[in-house]
Amino acid sequence: MLKTLIYKELKMIIASPKFTATFGTCAVLILLSIFIGIQEYRGAVRQYETAVQLNDQEMAESTSWGSFDTRVFRQPDPMQIFVSGIHYDVGRMTGISRWEEIKLRRSNYSDDPIFAVFRFIDFTFIVQIALSLLAILFTYDAINGEREQGTLKLTFANPVPKVTYILSKFIGAWLGLVIPLLIPILIGLLLVMLYNLPLTGVHWAKIITMLGFSLLFFTFFIAFGLMVSALTRSSSSSFLILLVAWVTLVLIIPRAGVMLAGQVQSVPTVAEIESKHAKFSQERWDQHSALISERYEKRNAAMEGLSPEDREAYEEEKMWSWMEEDDAEMKNVQADISEYGRKLQEDLRNRRAAQEKLAFLLSRVSPASAYQLAMMNLAATDINLKNRYEDAMRDYRTAFNGFVNKKLEDSGQHGGFRISISSETGVNIDTGDIDTKSLDLSEVPRFEDPRHSYSAAITPAMTDLALLIFFTLIAFAGAFSGFIRYDVR
Amino acid sequence: MTTPENTPETIQPMMATRNLSKRYEDGVLALDSLDLSVNPGQIYAMLGGNGAGKTTTINLFLNFIDPTEGEAIVDGIITHQEPLKAKAKIAYVSENVMLYPNFTALQNLDYFSHLGGKTSYSAEDYQKVLLRVGLQEEAHDKKLRSYSKGMRQKCGIAIAILKDAPAILLDEPTSGLDPKAGMEFINLLQDLRDEGKAILMSTHDIFRAKQVADIVGIMNAGKLVAEKQREELVGEDLEKLYVEYMTGYMDTAVQATDASVTVG
Repeated sequence: MLKTLIYKELKMIIASPKFTATFGTCAVLILLSIFIGIQEYRGAVRQYETAVQLNDQEMAESTSWGSFDTRVFRQPDPMQIFVSGIHYDVGRMTGISRWEEIKLRRSNYSDDPIFAVFRFIDFTFIVQIALSLLAILFTYDAINGEREQGTLKLTFANPVPKVTYILSKFIGAWLGLVIPLLIPILIGLLLVMLYNLPLTGVHWAKIITMLGFSLLFFTFFIAFGLMVSALTRSSSSSFLILLVAWVTLVLIIPRAGVMLAGQVQSVPTVAEIESKHAKFSQERWDQHSALISERYEKRNAAMEGLSPEDREAYEEEKMWSWMEEDDAEMKNVQADISEYGRKLQEDLRNRRAAQEKLAFLLSRVSPASAYQLAMMNLAATDINLKNRYEDAMRDYRTAFNGFVNKKLEDSGQHGGFRISISSETGVNIDTGDIDTKSLDLSEVPRFEDPRHSYSAAITPAMTDLALLIFFTLIAFAGAFSGFIRYDVR
Repeated sequence: MTTPENTPETIQPMMATRNLSKRYEDGVLALDSLDLSVNPGQIYAMLGGNGAGKTTTINLFLNFIDPTEGEAIVDGIITHQEPLKAKAKIAYVSENVMLYPNFTALQNLDYFSHLGGKTSYSAEDYQKVLLRVGLQEEAHDKKLRSYSKGMRQKCGIAIAILKDAPAILLDEPTSGLDPKAGMEFINLLQDLRDEGKAILMSTHDIFRAKQVADIVGIMNAGKLVAEKQREELVGEDLEKLYVEYMTGYMDTAVQATDASVTVG
């Protein structure tokens, strides 16, 4: 019985003209998105390699550890082909030096704003928008359409249990839509293999999990469509209800959740943070200037009454210790400013985290949000992408600066310079013992992209998995209970 | 209620109703204490206007709705207690047979035969039945969306025949059939009766009812107001009888209304 009913469902779906049209569109969309994604990724890799090469070249031309700095770049990840997430919005590089704070700059969209206008359509977008609509299109009249057509009455004039029937509707629609859609997906994956992209075992595990999530999301919409169809008498009503529900679930709730969280949990803007930082910095430098002035006065007072020769000799004797004293004070100021900046950033990050938590909590009312967040987590293009990179870059900055400082000490350089003005020798700039030869860069620490393991990807996605299963079960239970009470006449 | 050869003591009715009543949620009493029975090899025609309770009776047999009181019984099975068992014994043809428009006649027959529990039929079996109901061979492989109402009706009858159920329910089966097709249908019904099927049909068609029915029940406002055996109808003008019963009811109804107006 179940087999007969499922077989009929499959035949009905595949024989319907709307199937040819929608399946064709979705297949083309999936293949195009994967193909364009591959091209984008390869372009990004070329750009990344060129940038790294150029940076290496610039480092190789450096002759002083005192002025030695570098840049690090975010390496493109093949997972961005399937889920671009915030990949295109996050900056791709930062400068690494003793003076510069870590800040990812030059995102794809800031470099090429035109692409931000019509954003890249990735696999997640297709599943979230196109395939969910496809599921609705094939299920909105699954029950009430048969009633309107008169076939439901004839079917239930036979010994057909309602449970078997609703199950067959669900399985039939699922198989009828999923199997044909797996074809372009598999061709897309074949394309990925043909292009010989650097996909590791972890990548493949993530891709398979992502497919599982996509199927679950699609399954939700099939069950949801069935539910609405089993709770309404006419197919026009169910279509309208589903359309409104789709707009609400896919387009409104995810955005409304974020906007509401923005209102409830305020987060200072980058400009506000920078302004606070600049103000503190100004105050600190003012204090420093006052201290230096005071110190100069003391030093001058100590030299009062000395003859010019003694004064010069005294100055010559004290100069380096004064410089070191001043330098230490300056470093204190820099450290204070840096610490204040770090605290501001930490506060910003905590507030952002609280806002994100609230936003995700609110938006996860929609399975579309749960699906998108899970996919972004799996592909490592999630909201934490920037933090992960900035943390790794900060760690690298510490290692890099430590290395440079050690080199400075070893080479006897101090990293600063001394300007002396004399009526006899004129202006002199002393930078210490600068070696004009190229530096040995073999031991310079290299930046390694933060690793994103499978467990790091799946752990945050477990909540979304549970939610998607919950939503699907609720929708199926709704379809089931609605149909058990359904008047087939 | 019985054929001349059989007596109530020896024959168990294939279809029967006992004090069957249905009151809908809006308070309308669609069926009021109906008692009827149809034996194997009998055709029972329910005559009546719209809202008489004919279709409600059929829906109760098919357990599409639950009775408020009483029971509908098929081959000893109370339909609302064991609906699946009961449905296995019933073949049904609706007033306006609607099948799957994207399937051919053969595909529709195959699907509904499987639902009816008949899984061993071959394409030849389907074709034979389609020819038997008068559907030309060239139409067998055509999709149902190109079929006329009469052709769909024939398909529906073919499905009922293929189910080979001992009880057949027909809801206005001749509606939409041309005179020739109507005649063929009557012949087919007679064949089925001769095969021992118990047939309960609702109809407005007094002529066909008189022609084919062993028992004619006249229904009005949910009640069985008259029941006539075939032999009782010999020489009777069924149309006159039908109008009399209907008018009688109408008169009663009008009188009741007048009385209430006077009182009020």
